[in-house]
Amino acid sequence: MRELAKIFVAVGTQSVGGGTSTLFLLRRFLVEREARISEREFTEAWALCQLSPGIHLVALAGLLGQRVAGWRGVLVAVSGMMVPAGIITAVMTAAYGVIADQPLAHAALAGMAPATGGMTLGLAIVLVRGARRHGPRAVVDIGLVIIAFAVLLLTTISSVAVIVTAATVGAVFLGRERPTSPEGASE
Amino acid sequence: MDPLALFGVLLKDSALALGGLGSLPLLRQDLVATGVVTDTQLVEALAIGRLSTGPNGLWIVSLGYQLAGPLGAAMALVASSLPPLVILPATAVARRWLLSVPFAGLVRGAALATAGLLCATGASLILPAGDAPSWWQVAVGIAAAALTYQGRLHPAVVVIGGAAIGLVLAR
Repeated sequence: MRELAKIFVAVGTQSVGGGTSTLFLLRRFLVEREARISEREFTEAWALCQLSPGIHLVALAGLLGQRVAGWRGVLVAVSGMMVPAGIITAVMTAAYGVIADQPLAHAALAGMAPATGGMTLGLAIVLVRGARRHGPRAVVDIGLVIIAFAVLLLTTISSVAVIVTAATVGAVFLGRERPTSPEGASE
Repeated sequence: MDPLALFGVLLKDSALALGGLGSLPLLRQDLVATGVVTDTQLVEALAIGRLSTGPNGLWIVSLGYQLAGPLGAAMALVASSLPPLVILPATAVARRWLLSVPFAGLVRGAALATAGLLCATGASLILPAGDAPSWWQVAVGIAAAALTYQGRLHPAVVVIGGAAIGLVLAR
């Protein structure tokens, strides 16, 4: 159990920048280096966790921890990955708070704001690439994206209502192929 | 905002989102539109989330810290960690149903709607309403979108690059 904790703490503290690097380190430690999980088990867990709500990597950590050591493994894996990383994030936020009112911080923020906006936009396009079907049916899928986009920008309808409605429409009309791509879900 | 109410919002929006950034449009609607946080705080949290370690869904820990200090960070950590774990009992009880056509369609519909909401949120962070951005900010936004789509550059580099350009052009 201690070894499992070490692996997930290492993943949580060494993967900078989110999804892809976290996934890379999980695979390296659990499949390649320690051989605690087979390639097939890892791939299957990754496919299943894309169906979970919220942060898919938390679901992946839970599934892998469970595979290795049952429910105690879930607790160790998820807390090992999330708690140290959460503490680092909180400390960074506190440190930024000290300098947030400085003119230099304002200038940096003027560049970071469009950068984070652009990254959000780019991620959304990756998500569409992974979730849409191919051929003529892609028109329906992209239409759903455009409707959600317009609803948020042009109306006061709740985002929750948009997601619940789209999920219902999807359950009735949009099945048949894999729902999301690995790269889209890795965030 | 009352800590319990804040935890409820963070938990609800994490549970209804797909992916670490999927909660962004929901939290923006619940917290920015109601004046609890500003778009600036949201951007700071997103940037710190990209620069920090772990899944980038941890940006809500930064947001929680800004709202309520260490307690807010802890609440955000718990709120973002619990919803994904629903997959554990779900795979144990209903693995076959999770792999069914209707469920695949349900996830696809939610993913497409999330993408549309993220597009709108990203666009409005680049072009905030009532506040005309500079040409270079629009260029930074477009470049960041292209680099993220390509996926070749580390996300932290994109954030630091944006900050560096800001330091040069916004002073």
